[in-house]
Amino acid sequence: MRSRVIELTVNDEPRELLAPPGTTLLTALRETLGLTAAKRGCAQGTCGTCTVLLDGEPVMSCLVPVETIDGATVQTLEGVAGADGGLDEVQAAFLEGFATQCGFCTSGMIMAAEGLLAANPEPTRDDVVRAISGNVCRCTGYESIVNAILDAATRRTAVVR
Amino acid sequence: MPISVEVPESIAGVVGALGDGAVVIAGGTEVMPRINTEPHDLRALVSLRRAGLGGIELQDGEATIGAAATLARVGADERLAFLRPVIESIASPTIRNLATVGGNLFVEQPYGDLAVALLALDAQLDVAGPGGSETRGVADVADLPAGHVVTAVRFALPAAFRYTKAMRRRQNSASIVTVAAVLGAEPRLALGGAGRKPIRSAAAEAVLAAGPLDRERAEAAGRAALDDAEPFTDAYASAWYRARVLPVHVRRALIGAAA
Repeated sequence: MRSRVIELTVNDEPRELLAPPGTTLLTALRETLGLTAAKRGCAQGTCGTCTVLLDGEPVMSCLVPVETIDGATVQTLEGVAGADGGLDEVQAAFLEGFATQCGFCTSGMIMAAEGLLAANPEPTRDDVVRAISGNVCRCTGYESIVNAILDAATRRTAVVR
Repeated sequence: MPISVEVPESIAGVVGALGDGAVVIAGGTEVMPRINTEPHDLRALVSLRRAGLGGIELQDGEATIGAAATLARVGADERLAFLRPVIESIASPTIRNLATVGGNLFVEQPYGDLAVALLALDAQLDVAGPGGSETRGVADVADLPAGHVVTAVRFALPAAFRYTKAMRRRQNSASIVTVAAVLGAEPRLALGGAGRKPIRSAAAEAVLAAGPLDRERAEAAGRAALDDAEPFTDAYASAWYRARVLPVHVRRALIGAAA
Protein backbone atom coordinates (compact mmCIF):
# COMPACT_ATOMS: atom_id res chain seq x y z
CA MET A 1 0.00 0.00 0.00
CA ARG A 2 1.51 3.22 -1.15
CA SER A 3 1.67 6.60 0.44
CA ARG A 4 -0.45 9.22 -1.23
CA VAL A 5 0.07 12.87 -1.95
CA ILE A 6 -2.55 14.87 -0.09
CA GLU A 7 -3.22 18.54 -0.71
CA LEU A 8 -4.62 20.66 2.08
CA THR A 9 -5.00 24.35 2.71
CA VAL A 10 -3.56 24.67 6.19
CA ASN A 11 -3.79 28.03 7.94
CA ASP A 12 -4.44 29.73 4.60
CA GLU A 13 -1.40 28.20 2.90
CA PRO A 14 -1.50 25.42 0.29
CA ARG A 15 0.38 22.41 1.61
CA GLU A 16 1.20 19.04 0.08
CA LEU A 17 2.15 16.04 2.12
CA LEU A 18 2.94 12.41 1.60
CA ALA A 19 0.60 10.35 3.77
CA PRO A 20 1.28 6.68 4.50
CA PRO A 21 -1.98 4.67 4.46
CA GLY A 22 -4.10 5.27 7.56
CA THR A 23 -2.41 8.51 8.62
CA THR A 24 -4.70 10.63 10.79
CA LEU A 25 -5.02 14.36 10.25
CA LEU A 26 -3.49 14.80 13.70
CA THR A 27 -0.40 12.81 12.82
CA ALA A 28 -0.06 14.60 9.48
CA LEU A 29 -0.22 17.97 11.21
CA ARG A 30 2.19 17.11 13.99
CA GLU A 31 4.72 14.82 12.37
CA THR A 32 4.68 15.84 8.70
CA LEU A 33 3.78 19.51 8.74
CA GLY A 34 5.42 20.28 12.08
CA LEU A 35 2.30 21.91 13.52
CA THR A 36 2.30 20.64 17.09
CA ALA A 37 -0.39 22.80 18.72
CA ALA A 38 -3.01 20.07 18.29
CA LYS A 39 -2.15 17.45 20.90
CA ARG A 40 -2.57 13.70 21.02
CA GLY A 41 -4.53 13.00 24.18
CA CYS A 42 -6.87 10.03 24.21
CA ALA A 43 -6.82 9.22 20.45
CA GLN A 44 -10.49 8.22 20.87
CA GLY A 45 -12.31 11.50 20.30
CA THR A 46 -13.04 11.79 24.00
CA CYS A 47 -10.67 14.52 25.20
CA GLY A 48 -10.75 17.15 22.46
CA THR A 49 -7.17 18.35 22.73
CA CYS A 50 -6.61 17.54 19.03
CA THR A 51 -9.49 19.80 17.92
CA VAL A 52 -8.91 21.72 14.68
CA LEU A 53 -11.26 23.39 12.20
CA LEU A 54 -11.95 21.22 9.16
CA ASP A 55 -13.67 23.26 6.44
CA GLY A 56 -14.58 25.68 9.23
CA GLU A 57 -16.06 23.19 11.69
CA PRO A 58 -14.38 21.96 14.85
CA VAL A 59 -13.52 18.26 14.66
CA MET A 60 -11.24 15.84 16.49
CA SER A 61 -8.28 15.49 14.14
CA CYS A 62 -7.34 12.10 15.65
CA LEU A 63 -10.52 10.62 14.12
CA VAL A 64 -9.95 11.79 10.54
CA PRO A 65 -7.93 9.68 8.10
CA VAL A 66 -6.16 12.40 6.13
CA GLU A 67 -6.65 10.53 2.87
CA THR A 68 -10.41 11.12 3.18
CA ILE A 69 -10.08 14.94 3.22
CA ASP A 70 -7.82 15.61 0.22
CA GLY A 71 -8.43 19.21 -0.85
CA ALA A 72 -9.92 20.34 2.47
CA THR A 73 -9.22 23.50 4.45
CA VAL A 74 -7.75 23.05 7.92
CA GLN A 75 -7.10 25.65 10.57
CA THR A 76 -4.99 24.94 13.62
CA LEU A 77 -4.08 27.06 16.60
CA GLU A 78 -0.95 28.14 14.73
CA GLY A 79 -3.18 29.90 12.21
CA VAL A 80 -5.27 31.78 14.74
CA ALA A 81 -2.85 34.61 15.57
CA GLY A 82 -2.72 37.60 13.21
CA ALA A 83 -0.12 37.90 10.45
CA ASP A 84 1.87 40.19 12.72
CA GLY A 85 1.98 37.48 15.37
CA GLY A 86 -0.49 39.32 17.59
CA LEU A 87 -2.92 37.22 19.59
CA ASP A 88 -6.52 37.07 18.45
CA GLU A 89 -9.39 37.86 20.81
CA VAL A 90 -9.77 34.28 22.06
CA GLN A 91 -6.08 33.85 22.73
CA ALA A 92 -5.88 37.24 24.46
CA ALA A 93 -8.91 36.44 26.63
CA PHE A 94 -7.42 33.05 27.62
CA LEU A 95 -4.09 34.65 28.50
CA GLU A 96 -5.51 37.52 30.49
CA GLY A 97 -8.19 35.39 32.15
CA PHE A 98 -5.68 32.73 33.33
CA ALA A 99 -7.70 30.18 31.33
CA THR A 100 -4.69 28.28 30.02
CA GLN A 101 -3.89 26.61 33.35
CA CYS A 102 -1.62 23.60 32.57
CA GLY A 103 -2.05 24.22 28.84
CA PHE A 104 -2.64 20.72 27.53
CA CYS A 105 -6.29 21.28 26.65
CA THR A 106 -5.80 24.90 25.59
CA SER A 107 -5.26 24.54 21.86
CA GLY A 108 -8.33 22.32 21.57
CA MET A 109 -10.39 24.63 23.77
CA ILE A 110 -9.41 27.66 21.68
CA MET A 111 -10.23 25.89 18.40
CA ALA A 112 -13.62 24.77 19.75
CA ALA A 113 -14.18 28.39 20.82
CA GLU A 114 -13.15 29.69 17.39
CA GLY A 115 -15.66 27.32 15.78
CA LEU A 116 -18.39 28.49 18.15
CA LEU A 117 -17.75 32.21 17.71
CA ALA A 118 -17.60 31.93 13.92
CA ALA A 119 -21.07 30.36 13.92
CA ASN A 120 -22.52 32.23 16.88
CA PRO A 121 -20.74 35.55 17.63
CA GLU A 122 -22.81 36.30 20.73
CA PRO A 123 -23.14 32.99 22.58
CA THR A 124 -24.85 32.55 25.93
CA ARG A 125 -23.02 30.84 28.77
CA ASP A 126 -24.96 27.65 28.01
CA ASP A 127 -23.92 27.86 24.36
CA VAL A 128 -20.27 28.02 25.46
CA VAL A 129 -20.63 25.10 27.85
CA ARG A 130 -22.21 23.00 25.11
CA ALA A 131 -19.56 24.01 22.56
CA ILE A 132 -16.69 22.84 24.78
CA SER A 133 -18.50 19.78 26.13
CA GLY A 134 -16.23 17.60 23.99
CA ASN A 135 -13.08 19.17 25.43
CA VAL A 136 -11.77 17.82 28.69
CA CYS A 137 -9.77 20.00 31.12
CA ARG A 138 -8.26 17.77 33.80
CA CYS A 139 -7.21 20.82 35.79
CA THR A 140 -11.05 21.01 35.98
CA GLY A 141 -10.86 24.78 35.68
CA TYR A 142 -13.78 25.13 33.31
CA GLU A 143 -15.10 28.35 34.82
CA SER A 144 -12.11 30.43 33.71
CA ILE A 145 -12.27 28.85 30.24
CA VAL A 146 -15.99 29.58 29.85
CA ASN A 147 -15.42 33.13 31.12
CA ALA A 148 -12.55 33.63 28.67
CA ILE A 149 -14.66 32.52 25.71
CA LEU A 150 -17.49 34.86 26.72
CA ASP A 151 -14.90 37.63 27.15
CA ALA A 152 -13.51 36.86 23.68
CA ALA A 153 -16.99 37.10 22.18
CA THR A 154 -17.42 40.55 23.74
CA ARG A 155 -14.00 41.68 22.51
CA ARG A 156 -14.67 40.41 18.99
CA THR A 157 -18.11 41.96 18.60
CA ALA A 158 -16.71 45.22 19.99
CA VAL A 159 -14.03 45.14 17.29
CA VAL A 160 -16.58 44.46 14.56
CA ARG A 161 -18.77 47.34 15.70
CA MET B 1 0.16 -1.95 10.65
CA PRO B 2 -0.49 -0.28 7.29
CA ILE B 3 -4.15 0.27 6.46
CA SER B 4 -5.46 1.08 3.03
CA VAL B 5 -8.05 3.83 2.83
CA GLU B 6 -10.25 4.01 -0.24
CA VAL B 7 -12.37 7.11 -0.85
CA PRO B 8 -14.81 6.16 -3.64
CA GLU B 9 -16.92 8.83 -5.29
CA SER B 10 -20.09 6.78 -5.83
CA ILE B 11 -22.18 4.06 -4.18
CA ALA B 12 -21.01 1.61 -6.84
CA GLY B 13 -17.44 2.57 -6.02
CA VAL B 14 -18.05 1.89 -2.32
CA VAL B 15 -19.59 -1.53 -3.00
CA GLY B 16 -16.76 -2.36 -5.39
CA ALA B 17 -14.15 -1.49 -2.77
CA LEU B 18 -15.84 -3.54 -0.02
CA GLY B 19 -14.13 -6.85 -0.71
CA ASP B 20 -11.80 -8.88 1.46
CA GLY B 21 -12.97 -7.77 4.87
CA ALA B 22 -12.86 -4.06 4.18
CA VAL B 23 -14.72 -1.96 6.71
CA VAL B 24 -16.90 1.06 6.01
CA ILE B 25 -15.82 4.28 7.69
CA ALA B 26 -18.11 7.31 7.66
CA GLY B 27 -17.43 9.89 10.39
CA GLY B 28 -14.68 7.79 11.98
CA THR B 29 -15.89 8.28 15.54
CA GLU B 30 -16.36 4.52 16.02
CA VAL B 31 -13.72 3.02 13.72
CA MET B 32 -10.81 5.34 14.43
CA PRO B 33 -10.72 4.91 18.24
CA ARG B 34 -10.38 1.15 17.62
CA ILE B 35 -7.56 1.69 15.15
CA ASN B 36 -5.82 4.26 17.33
CA THR B 37 -5.98 2.49 20.67
CA GLU B 38 -6.95 -1.19 20.43
CA PRO B 39 -5.46 -4.35 18.98
CA HIS B 40 -7.33 -4.86 15.73
CA ASP B 41 -7.08 -6.64 12.42
CA LEU B 42 -8.53 -3.91 10.24
CA ARG B 43 -6.57 -3.68 7.02
CA ALA B 44 -8.83 -1.85 4.61
CA LEU B 45 -11.16 1.09 5.15
CA VAL B 46 -13.70 2.38 2.65
CA SER B 47 -14.73 5.96 3.34
CA LEU B 48 -18.22 7.28 2.59
CA ARG B 49 -17.06 10.92 2.71
CA ARG B 50 -17.06 11.50 -1.04
CA ALA B 51 -19.72 8.98 -2.07
CA GLY B 52 -22.51 11.55 -2.27
CA LEU B 53 -24.38 10.21 0.75
CA GLY B 54 -24.61 13.40 2.82
CA GLY B 55 -27.94 14.72 1.63
CA ILE B 56 -31.24 15.24 3.47
CA GLU B 57 -34.48 15.23 1.49
CA LEU B 58 -38.08 15.63 2.54
CA GLN B 59 -40.93 14.81 0.23
CA ASP B 60 -44.58 14.01 0.85
CA GLY B 61 -44.05 13.66 4.59
CA GLU B 62 -41.14 11.25 4.23
CA ALA B 63 -37.56 12.04 5.17
CA THR B 64 -34.61 10.47 3.38
CA ILE B 65 -31.27 11.02 5.08
CA GLY B 66 -28.02 9.97 3.46
CA ALA B 67 -25.98 7.54 5.53
CA ALA B 68 -23.05 9.96 5.62
CA ALA B 69 -25.09 12.99 6.71
CA THR B 70 -23.52 14.23 9.91
CA LEU B 71 -25.48 14.39 13.14
CA ALA B 72 -24.69 18.14 13.19
CA ARG B 73 -26.34 18.58 9.81
CA VAL B 74 -29.46 16.67 10.89
CA GLY B 75 -29.61 18.69 14.11
CA ALA B 76 -29.45 21.96 12.17
CA ASP B 77 -32.22 21.03 9.71
CA GLU B 78 -35.40 22.93 10.56
CA ARG B 79 -37.51 20.35 8.73
CA LEU B 80 -36.28 17.70 11.18
CA ALA B 81 -36.65 19.86 14.29
CA PHE B 82 -38.40 17.01 16.13
CA LEU B 83 -35.07 15.13 16.08
CA ARG B 84 -33.09 17.97 17.66
CA PRO B 85 -33.44 16.70 21.25
CA VAL B 86 -32.13 13.33 20.04
CA ILE B 87 -29.16 14.82 18.21
CA GLU B 88 -28.25 17.18 21.05
CA SER B 89 -28.24 14.30 23.53
CA ILE B 90 -25.46 12.57 21.58
CA ALA B 91 -21.78 13.17 22.40
CA SER B 92 -20.44 16.71 21.87
CA PRO B 93 -20.92 19.24 19.05
CA THR B 94 -17.36 18.50 17.90
CA ILE B 95 -18.08 14.78 17.58
CA ARG B 96 -21.42 15.52 15.93
CA ASN B 97 -19.54 17.39 13.18
CA LEU B 98 -18.03 14.02 12.20
CA ALA B 99 -20.45 11.32 13.40
CA THR B 100 -23.03 10.22 10.86
CA VAL B 101 -26.59 8.91 10.76
CA GLY B 102 -25.44 5.64 9.19
CA GLY B 103 -22.63 5.17 11.67
CA ASN B 104 -24.96 5.66 14.60
CA LEU B 105 -26.80 2.48 13.57
CA PHE B 106 -23.70 0.39 14.14
CA VAL B 107 -22.54 1.48 17.59
CA GLU B 108 -23.32 -0.68 20.56
CA GLN B 109 -25.56 0.55 23.36
CA PRO B 110 -25.26 2.62 25.58
CA TYR B 111 -24.35 4.71 22.51
CA GLY B 112 -26.42 5.03 19.36
CA ASP B 113 -29.35 7.10 20.62
CA LEU B 114 -30.40 8.10 17.11
CA ALA B 115 -30.67 4.40 16.28
CA VAL B 116 -33.19 4.11 19.12
CA ALA B 117 -35.20 6.98 17.66
CA LEU B 118 -35.01 5.45 14.17
CA LEU B 119 -36.32 2.17 15.56
CA ALA B 120 -39.31 3.98 17.07
CA LEU B 121 -39.80 5.74 13.73
CA ASP B 122 -39.86 2.32 12.04
CA ALA B 123 -37.20 3.61 9.63
CA GLN B 124 -36.29 1.73 6.48
CA LEU B 125 -32.72 1.39 5.29
CA ASP B 126 -31.56 1.66 1.71
CA VAL B 127 -28.82 -0.94 1.40
CA ALA B 128 -26.43 -1.38 -1.54
CA GLY B 129 -24.52 -4.58 -2.21
CA PRO B 130 -23.01 -6.65 -4.99
CA GLY B 131 -26.49 -7.80 -6.06
CA GLY B 132 -27.92 -4.29 -6.29
CA SER B 133 -29.91 -2.23 -3.84
CA GLU B 134 -32.62 -3.32 -1.44
CA THR B 135 -34.68 -2.03 1.46
CA ARG B 136 -34.44 -3.39 5.00
CA GLY B 137 -36.02 -2.56 8.31
CA VAL B 138 -33.75 -0.69 10.70
CA ALA B 139 -33.97 -3.56 13.19
CA ASP B 140 -32.19 -5.82 10.67
CA VAL B 141 -29.08 -3.67 10.56
CA ALA B 142 -27.14 -6.10 12.72
CA ASP B 143 -27.61 -8.82 10.10
CA LEU B 144 -26.21 -6.77 7.24
CA PRO B 145 -24.18 -9.19 5.12
CA ALA B 146 -20.53 -8.49 4.38
CA GLY B 147 -19.97 -6.37 1.30
CA HIS B 148 -23.15 -4.36 1.87
CA VAL B 149 -23.47 -0.75 2.92
CA VAL B 150 -26.35 1.34 4.26
CA THR B 151 -26.76 4.28 1.90
CA ALA B 152 -29.77 6.06 3.42
CA VAL B 153 -32.42 5.91 6.13
CA ARG B 154 -36.04 6.74 5.36
CA PHE B 155 -38.98 7.34 7.65
CA ALA B 156 -42.36 9.05 7.72
CA LEU B 157 -42.43 12.27 9.70
CA PRO B 158 -44.29 11.41 12.93
CA ALA B 159 -47.31 13.34 14.16
CA ALA B 160 -46.32 12.85 17.80
CA PHE B 161 -42.75 11.93 18.73
CA ARG B 162 -41.47 11.56 22.28
CA TYR B 163 -37.88 11.17 23.48
CA THR B 164 -35.92 11.18 26.68
CA LYS B 165 -32.39 10.13 27.56
CA ALA B 166 -31.17 9.69 31.11
CA MET B 167 -27.49 10.59 31.46
CA ARG B 168 -25.00 11.09 34.25
CA ARG B 169 -24.19 14.57 32.93
CA ARG B 170 -26.25 17.11 31.01
CA GLN B 171 -23.93 16.89 28.00
CA ASN B 172 -21.73 14.38 26.28
CA SER B 173 -22.59 11.26 28.23
CA ALA B 174 -23.70 7.78 27.27
CA SER B 175 -27.17 6.54 27.95
CA ILE B 176 -28.40 5.13 31.22
CA VAL B 177 -31.71 4.54 29.49
CA THR B 178 -33.06 6.13 26.32
CA VAL B 179 -36.74 6.10 25.37
CA ALA B 180 -38.17 7.07 21.98
CA ALA B 181 -41.81 6.74 21.05
CA VAL B 182 -44.16 7.57 18.22
CA LEU B 183 -47.73 7.96 19.44
CA GLY B 184 -50.87 7.34 17.45
CA ALA B 185 -53.18 4.51 16.50
CA GLU B 186 -50.24 2.12 16.24
CA PRO B 187 -47.82 3.37 18.86
CA ARG B 188 -44.17 2.35 18.72
CA LEU B 189 -41.78 2.52 21.64
CA ALA B 190 -38.04 1.84 21.49
CA LEU B 191 -35.49 1.59 24.28
CA GLY B 192 -31.77 2.25 24.53
CA GLY B 193 -29.58 1.15 27.42
CA ALA B 194 -31.96 -1.78 27.81
CA GLY B 195 -29.86 -4.24 25.83
CA ARG B 196 -26.77 -4.11 23.64
CA LYS B 197 -29.02 -3.27 20.70
CA PRO B 198 -31.96 -0.86 20.58
CA ILE B 199 -35.12 -2.76 21.56
CA ARG B 200 -38.75 -2.33 20.54
CA SER B 201 -41.05 -3.00 23.46
CA ALA B 202 -44.11 -4.85 22.17
CA ALA B 203 -45.45 -5.08 25.72
CA ALA B 204 -45.34 -1.31 26.24
CA GLU B 205 -46.81 -0.73 22.79
CA ALA B 206 -49.74 -3.02 23.59
CA VAL B 207 -50.46 -1.01 26.73
CA LEU B 208 -50.32 2.26 24.81
CA ALA B 209 -52.56 0.96 22.03
CA ALA B 210 -55.26 -0.13 24.49
CA GLY B 211 -56.57 3.33 25.34
CA PRO B 212 -55.99 7.04 25.79
CA LEU B 213 -52.66 8.14 27.24
CA ASP B 214 -52.91 9.27 30.83
CA ARG B 215 -50.61 8.98 33.80
CA GLU B 216 -51.84 5.50 34.73
CA ARG B 217 -51.34 4.20 31.21
CA ALA B 218 -47.90 5.83 30.95
CA GLU B 219 -46.86 4.16 34.21
CA ALA B 220 -48.28 0.83 33.06
CA ALA B 221 -46.34 1.15 29.80
CA GLY B 222 -43.19 1.78 31.81
CA ARG B 223 -43.72 -1.37 33.88
CA ALA B 224 -44.51 -3.33 30.73
CA ALA B 225 -41.32 -2.11 29.04
CA LEU B 226 -39.34 -4.02 31.67
CA ASP B 227 -40.66 -7.26 30.15
CA ASP B 228 -38.72 -6.55 26.96
CA ALA B 229 -35.59 -5.06 28.53
CA GLU B 230 -32.36 -6.88 29.27
CA PRO B 231 -30.43 -4.14 31.05
CA PHE B 232 -26.65 -4.48 31.35
CA THR B 233 -24.00 -3.22 33.73
CA ASP B 234 -21.26 -0.89 32.56
CA ALA B 235 -19.31 2.12 33.82
CA TYR B 236 -22.36 4.36 33.51
CA ALA B 237 -24.91 2.34 35.45
CA SER B 238 -25.61 -1.10 36.85
CA ALA B 239 -28.21 -3.40 35.32
CA TRP B 240 -30.17 -3.08 38.55
CA TYR B 241 -30.20 0.70 38.31
CA ARG B 242 -31.19 0.70 34.66
CA ALA B 243 -34.11 -1.61 35.40
CA ARG B 244 -35.08 0.50 38.42
CA VAL B 245 -35.26 3.77 36.47
CA LEU B 246 -36.51 2.50 33.11
CA PRO B 247 -40.25 2.74 33.97
CA VAL B 248 -39.74 6.28 35.27
CA HIS B 249 -38.12 7.44 32.05
CA VAL B 250 -40.71 5.71 29.89
CA ARG B 251 -43.39 7.61 31.80
CA ARG B 252 -41.44 10.88 31.52
CA ALA B 253 -40.95 10.39 27.79
CA LEU B 254 -44.66 9.78 27.31
CA ILE B 255 -46.25 12.44 29.50
CA GLY B 256 -43.40 14.63 30.78
CA ALA B 257 -41.57 14.95 34.08
CA ALA B 258 -44.08 17.26 35.72
CA ALA B 259 -47.27 15.35 34.98
